[in-house]
Amino acid sequence: MLRIEGLEKSFGGVAAIKDVSLDFSAGSLTAVIGPNGAGKTSFFNLVSGLLRPDAGRVLLEGKDIAGLPAPEIVRRGIGRAFQIASIFPSLTVRESILGAVHAHRRDHTGVGRRFPLAEARAEADEVMELVGLSAEADRLSGSLSHGDQKVLDIALALALRPKVLLLDEPTAGMGSEERWQMMETVHGLWSKRQMTLVFIEHDMDIVFKFAQTIRVLCYGSVLAEGTPEDVRRHPKVIEAYLGSQYSAEVAG
Amino acid sequence: MDIQALLTCLASASCIVTQTTGGLISGILLFLVAAGLSLIFGTLKVTNFMHGSLYMLGAYFAYTIYTATGSYALAVVGSALGVAAFGWAFERLFMSRVYGSDVLMQLLVCYSFILILDDAVKIIWGAEFRSMGMPAAFQGPPIVVAGGVLPVFYLFLIGMTLLVAAALGLLITRTRMGKIVRAAAVNPTMTSALGINTTLVYGGVFALGSLLAGLAGALAVPVRSMVSGMGFSILIESFIVTVIGGMGSVAGAMVGALLIGLVRSFGSIGFPLFTEGLMFAFMTAVLIVKPSGLFGREA
Amino acid sequence: MRRPSLARDAIVALALFALLAFLPTVFPSKSFSDFVVRASAFAIFATSLNLLIGYSGMVSFGHGLFFGLGAYSFALLMQKTGSSIPAAIGITLLVTALVATAVGAICVRLKEIYFSFLTLAFQMLLYSVIIAWTDVTGGDQGLTGGVPRPAFLGIRLDDPHHLYVFCCAIMVASLFLMWHLVQSPFGYTLRMIRDNPRRAEFLGIAVWRVRLMAFVVAGVFGGLGGVIISLFVSSAYPDFAYWTISGEAVFMILLGGIGVFLGPLAGAALLLALNDTVTKFTEHYSLVLGIVILVFALGMRKGLLGFGMERWRARAGRGG
Repeated sequence: MLRIEGLEKSFGGVAAIKDVSLDFSAGSLTAVIGPNGAGKTSFFNLVSGLLRPDAGRVLLEGKDIAGLPAPEIVRRGIGRAFQIASIFPSLTVRESILGAVHAHRRDHTGVGRRFPLAEARAEADEVMELVGLSAEADRLSGSLSHGDQKVLDIALALALRPKVLLLDEPTAGMGSEERWQMMETVHGLWSKRQMTLVFIEHDMDIVFKFAQTIRVLCYGSVLAEGTPEDVRRHPKVIEAYLGSQYSAEVAG
Repeated sequence: MDIQALLTCLASASCIVTQTTGGLISGILLFLVAAGLSLIFGTLKVTNFMHGSLYMLGAYFAYTIYTATGSYALAVVGSALGVAAFGWAFERLFMSRVYGSDVLMQLLVCYSFILILDDAVKIIWGAEFRSMGMPAAFQGPPIVVAGGVLPVFYLFLIGMTLLVAAALGLLITRTRMGKIVRAAAVNPTMTSALGINTTLVYGGVFALGSLLAGLAGALAVPVRSMVSGMGFSILIESFIVTVIGGMGSVAGAMVGALLIGLVRSFGSIGFPLFTEGLMFAFMTAVLIVKPSGLFGREA
Repeated sequence: MRRPSLARDAIVALALFALLAFLPTVFPSKSFSDFVVRASAFAIFATSLNLLIGYSGMVSFGHGLFFGLGAYSFALLMQKTGSSIPAAIGITLLVTALVATAVGAICVRLKEIYFSFLTLAFQMLLYSVIIAWTDVTGGDQGLTGGVPRPAFLGIRLDDPHHLYVFCCAIMVASLFLMWHLVQSPFGYTLRMIRDNPRRAEFLGIAVWRVRLMAFVVAGVFGGLGGVIISLFVSSAYPDFAYWTISGEAVFMILLGGIGVFLGPLAGAALLLALNDTVTKFTEHYSLVLGIVILVFALGMRKGLLGFGMERWRARAGRGG
């Protein structure tokens, strides 16, 4: 579904992403992990079009989308939620999601009828149901709790029926109980919508519980990839996280 | 459109000299105003929309001091300092109250002052155009270069501005105060946490920016007439200059101002009705090719 | 979710128009109807600017470009071409749309303060052309000779009563159209772009294109305001394109409430009333207006945007 080949990006001489090649098969649930500064968010930025890569290809269903403007990449099927919830504070939850649905249906510049168009309502209701925000439907997005705002951010991306959904630290800033709830929600919508989902995460317990596969980034390169079991035992990964003394222990 | 007239001028050395010097003078005055605007924007992140009114005040102050004392030197110094003091008071009493607010509020505060000052000038000095005439010191015969006329005052203007520009450059880059200003521009919270009185810095920068505008007004008075509302067109031009040169760049302001001055000077011969349009066309072209200005950094 | 329906709004608009048309029987003085006609020109103008500032988050300092352009285009068309009034209005709106497209294409991609100043610069460009091109525009005196008003469809705009009703109708219709726009999917897309343009991009929206559309729509209505004022003064003056007209429109919006659709209408009426009152006592209107604006700006320190938003939220909270 999504294949990245030889992705490179530097900022002022510092290489943030070095020759990254990864594969995400259709319908997979992958976690991208790595120490701080490893380039995880830069990676998402490059794939979703916020940044333009210096080199490399990003193949979505076989077609290269690298370097295309973000709205175009989004329309081709890549959805994205942000580390800090990126929402529309003055609109209610329902209005925001309806707005997203309209944009997806290319109805967002219509002036003939009133907002919201009848065709969009059912879809918006379904998305709200899926993420569990139906109860908050008429609350102003700006007044939502931090956790709900993150959920709304995801809902906005979901409304576009993306083929690939990128979630940048969906559990950032949450307490441990909230984190598990969020991941349950994420897992739920992944299985219901059958999409390719990639999420960045720091909490290893969550990663090992929910992810099918894991990709490890470190200093802008791919350090390891595989199932949670593979990665857990991978000496380089342990070294990166805990230091070289532990990798010897595990290997031995 | 009168291309014939333009070509005739370009073929004549005396015309070239006269127009070039005229253009340089416009450009230099514009540079001073634009530098002040850019300084305030770069440090305080605020667009001093009433910057043109400070230029107007500088002109009227200089006129008043000169007619009262007969000394142009006193007029220049006095009005520059007077406008600087006004700028300081404006920043401390009014502008600082709306720093955190929407840019619309800042705009309104500045707009209100343009209105107030325009009427105040009308009330105090009258609504007619006023001219000061050339101060006695510069009333000597002009220098003739290749048949073109170069008034002595122009040399003074150029020299004065270069001096001021150099002093400004040194101030910003070499002195401790300059370092503080640059630090406050980049990171005000940190600068203040280091125990530096940022309110003093802000007031000081605003005063300095105002001084430049007021100085420009005082220097312009012998060669331009004054009228209420004269500040606005120079505000627009200095904004165009900062756009072309790049917001926050003093070198850019200089280059932009000189270019605009020359475009205006020669353009007014070839396109008497559309001189303003030329400037805009020029600015638009720059914006398309390099949106952050010729010397600008991507903000 | 309660949503105002098109039908309901149309009825409200018609009722408002009927009320306005009836008022001169209660207030037969000329100064009343003059006030309403002037206010309708500025109400359309300020509301159109609020489409940009309030709903799209695009702070244009140069909206007066369209006010002046509308006034001069209409007046010149009527004077020089002997066209009918509806045709002249139509052509004026077309011209305004074209200019708005050209100016917008350049300005709309720019960042905030650059956008603001560049729109202002374009307005001053028009102003300087008006002042310089004395053959056509009469220079700083304005157009002389009056604007002919041939009758059309039985409407004689040289009759003050007809003019009053006509202008009220145009104002109500314009505000109704703009309200409908704001309540359409396009209007909500504008709000999304205002709140978070990056997120809007990540919904697949071509932000600059939508902004350009908003700019053109606002420009056309701004031009219509200019047509009304030109009919009122039977001429066109450079003041209509001077930067102060844009400043006053911004103040009207903030005065009436940026988050309220009819705010600019209220602000326009208030400011014109202030103008009329002050000019009775002193010729230093600028000074008084400046002080009023200053007090207002310092008093609403939080920014009327915050104030307006809070009121809006309270309403939405109660209503939702």
